[in-house]
Amino acid sequence: MADRRKRGRAATDSDSDSDPVQFKSKLKPDSAILQTLRNLKSAASTSAAATKPLSLTDLNLSTTCREVADLPLASVQSTIESLVLALAHSILAGNGFSFSVPSRSAANQLYVPELDRIVLKDKSSSRPFAAVSSVRKATITTRILQLVHQLSLKNIHVTKRDLFYTDVKLFQDQTQSDAILDDVSCILGCTRSSLNVVAAEKGVVVGRLIFSDNGDMIDCTKMGIGGKAIPPNIDRVGDMQSDALFVLLVEKDAAYMRLAEDRFYNRFPCIIVTAKGQPDVATRLFLRKMKMELKLPVLALVDSDPYGLKILSVYMCGSKNMSYDSANLTTPDIKWLGIRPSDLDKYKIPDQCRLPMTEQDIKTGKDLLEEDFVKKNPGWVEELNLMVKSKQKAEIQALSTFGFQYLTEVYLPLKLQQKDWL
Amino acid sequence: ESPAEFFADNKNIAGFDNPGKCLYTTVRELVENALDSAESIAELPVIEITIEEIEKRKFNSMIGLAEHGRVDEELYDDFETEKAREKRLAKEARLQEIQAKNASLGKKAKAPVAAKSIKSREASYYRVSCKDNGRGMPHDDIPNMFGRVLSGTKYGLKQTRGKFGLGAKMALIWSKMSTGLPIEICSSMKGQSYSSFCRLDIDINRNIPHIHVHTKKENKEKWHGAEIQIVIEGNWTTYRSKILHYMRQMAVITPYAEFFFKFLSEVPDKNVTARFARRTDIMPPAPLETKYHPSAVDLLLIKRLISETSKPKLLQFLQHEFVNVGKSYAERLIGEMGPDFGPGMLVKSLTSQQIVRIHQLFRQAKFDDPSGDCLSPAGEYNLRLGIVKELHPEMVATYSGSAQVFEGHPFIVEAGVSLGGKDVKQGLNIFRFANRIPLLFEQGADVVTRTAIKRINWNTYKINQAQDKIGVFVSIVSTKIPFKGTGKEYIGDDINEIASAVKTAIQQCCAQLKERKRSLSKYIPNATGAIYEILKEMSSSHASKKRRSDDKDAELLRQVSAKLVTEEMLREKLTQHVEQVDYEMALEYATQTGVNEEPRDDIYIQPLKTECNLTEFYSPVFVFRLIH
Repeated sequence: MADRRKRGRAATDSDSDSDPVQFKSKLKPDSAILQTLRNLKSAASTSAAATKPLSLTDLNLSTTCREVADLPLASVQSTIESLVLALAHSILAGNGFSFSVPSRSAANQLYVPELDRIVLKDKSSSRPFAAVSSVRKATITTRILQLVHQLSLKNIHVTKRDLFYTDVKLFQDQTQSDAILDDVSCILGCTRSSLNVVAAEKGVVVGRLIFSDNGDMIDCTKMGIGGKAIPPNIDRVGDMQSDALFVLLVEKDAAYMRLAEDRFYNRFPCIIVTAKGQPDVATRLFLRKMKMELKLPVLALVDSDPYGLKILSVYMCGSKNMSYDSANLTTPDIKWLGIRPSDLDKYKIPDQCRLPMTEQDIKTGKDLLEEDFVKKNPGWVEELNLMVKSKQKAEIQALSTFGFQYLTEVYLPLKLQQKDWL
Repeated sequence: ESPAEFFADNKNIAGFDNPGKCLYTTVRELVENALDSAESIAELPVIEITIEEIEKRKFNSMIGLAEHGRVDEELYDDFETEKAREKRLAKEARLQEIQAKNASLGKKAKAPVAAKSIKSREASYYRVSCKDNGRGMPHDDIPNMFGRVLSGTKYGLKQTRGKFGLGAKMALIWSKMSTGLPIEICSSMKGQSYSSFCRLDIDINRNIPHIHVHTKKENKEKWHGAEIQIVIEGNWTTYRSKILHYMRQMAVITPYAEFFFKFLSEVPDKNVTARFARRTDIMPPAPLETKYHPSAVDLLLIKRLISETSKPKLLQFLQHEFVNVGKSYAERLIGEMGPDFGPGMLVKSLTSQQIVRIHQLFRQAKFDDPSGDCLSPAGEYNLRLGIVKELHPEMVATYSGSAQVFEGHPFIVEAGVSLGGKDVKQGLNIFRFANRIPLLFEQGADVVTRTAIKRINWNTYKINQAQDKIGVFVSIVSTKIPFKGTGKEYIGDDINEIASAVKTAIQQCCAQLKERKRSLSKYIPNATGAIYEILKEMSSSHASKKRRSDDKDAELLRQVSAKLVTEEMLREKLTQHVEQVDYEMALEYATQTGVNEEPRDDIYIQPLKTECNLTEFYSPVFVFRLIH
């Protein structure tokens, strides 16, 4: 009974159009908001300066862990060559050949709370050519090694798709060549970008950022509404400069468009980044580079559903698939700005804009509650509990009920003003 | 209506749908009779089958019909009017023009459209002859064995090749219907001093043989067996591939037989000869005749059994005319039938109602399943040999299931799965056998096809359903194969017992293949190619740098640039290694399964044909030969 009354009131409130106005009236002048942001930035930069970034070697963990490093092209080449020489010797001696491949399975992964990311343990498996179960993978591995060797000789970059198309008949589908490529990274002990193989461009950036891409200076305020595509290989990127106060990480393309078109970064100096869903390696590298070089706080705007949080976790702790390279790919200390489950009621988002969570959603949500990176942030646990309990989710676009520009004109300024991030 | 008339009217149900199919079915019936005949005396079958095309002129002279030229051209269906002729010529000219143009432009010309020959509805005739080394037929029985169609099933129950029990009789009916020419039979039995020759046709209305000649001839060569010649209307063009497929698959399932196939045409370059050589002299035992299982009989059958039985009393009748009914069990059954029944009751005096009661009880009571001992499966050894012999696959696995039961009839499913081979197309190639004869028609609805396509997850066994050349062989034997369709050409997919037995058999084969899959070698060129490429690149760049000049790596690179180490060499070494590993694995596999398997040699050596005096003792299961 009480529940129905509440819902009824919510409905009449939103009908009366008083809501947006009511929230809008709470907004202080921009200068006040800017001041809070400045405080945030200085806090971020001081904390970044104070805490020396930890590395695995500093930790003395009981289990040995594996990490890869960025290697210069020449050493990638020589590593491949000495590996291949060893293979050739082994074949000529009549022993066939075999690779020792670090295992990237879930059992071999470890969340290190001190580092706040997933790393790889030291288990590895052998991949002999003369065994039915591994002959295919061993063959693909040699082929990929050869292709990467060519890349290093010619000093060019190709995409994962290019790589796949060089020998479609052997690779059969791209997931196979992609997976082996990650294995090769592990075998050689270098990052995937050191292999000169990149993914297709996916992420975009717009806002108060100037950087050089392969020598050309790019001003991201002058890139139109679409923004600048994040270069697939991070070594092309350099000379980052910015007068922004924070980085705004956006999950969705649509919200990114809104922010870019409304020139949100001019009202509140910021850099807006999106990877259009699950982040690719390039976007994660780029975000990390911004965070490290510019020492800016990072605020995230994701959907209020388990997947939004999952995406956030990939930015922060790395994906399971690429955990061998987590050191270079993760950006610590991202603040969850919105849309949080508590916002649904706080901003009186009408019922028709909320979606019921599916069984699968609820399961994912409950699984997330067990994850270490969620558990260490009590605020997040609370929010996630609320989501699972209310069984409701909402996308960023739900805010469009109050007008398309509600997001940029009311919701985000108010959030920033109230320092409403976790 | 006599049985002969019935089949003449409904010849499609016996597989005589159209001239082409008639030719195919005739070949089949003759080949299967020949195999049965040879197997019945435990002789390794040697079968010669010849199809001879007979030109119309020759046919007419054979039947004594004078050649008639056409007088009134317009009377004929294929007559071309002046107008139609002009039209056709214009069209052909146009076509030629286009082709010439295409050719001059260097375009790849489409396959030249053969000017459609005007469809001829003229029948073509063939003489089909089949010679075997079987039992032969007793001189006096020959006319009735061909010229009288018996209705109803046989008294006993036995796994048989024939689907209708008609054999050559149906072919004779067809020859009577299409050419009117008689059948010629030459036969001799073992130890017979003469051979019989008989020429006869059939009086369809009266269902009796009409004998032209029936004589005895001298048999000098001590030949035994039968030779049958028949002239029928047929169509070789459309059924050529079916007949050849049939022969090939027959050779797969009967590797102990030797087949010679010949097609003789008026045009010599159309001639086809094929020889399917024997590869083993191990024959499966002949199937045994068995009694009916109580759950497999219907009312009519019970009545027939009663009328034919030699046992007067009910107890004995139950005990002796059915399998799995012992004396005490028969007594219990009689007790259960009711007060009207008694063990000493005369079976011939049973009323219809009482028979219904017995039938009801047979349906409801519990009986042990019939055993599969009466069946004669091809055997894993023969199946494997047949597959290897005809397809030359890279790998083959076979499996033989244990006997199972469907509606009181035992059945055994055997399967073979092969990978690769010659003349095998990519994807699934399905070969079906029922009671050791190949099934070629209506493949789509068959239980084997459906199971292989829908219920086997090939990926589990690392077999690519679309790209690998997979051969699936399933042979089902039973005292009664539950055929479907008018021509009894397929086994329905709706029988769970059979469907699951087929599935298990195929899965067992796949599991064996997975275990032994030696796909390693196909990856060797890829791997060595990649490694050699890198070595080559390195050797060319290192040659200029001259560093690490004395270690073994540099030595290797020097050898690469001097072409002392080549890609072939890498490939060879890796192949050796793979073979070594394979061999070790095979040994391990053999020791694990407790079989000490010598590398199997696939050479078959014919036994020396020495004339020696034998005394043979026959049993349904074996022949005992005593050499004097």
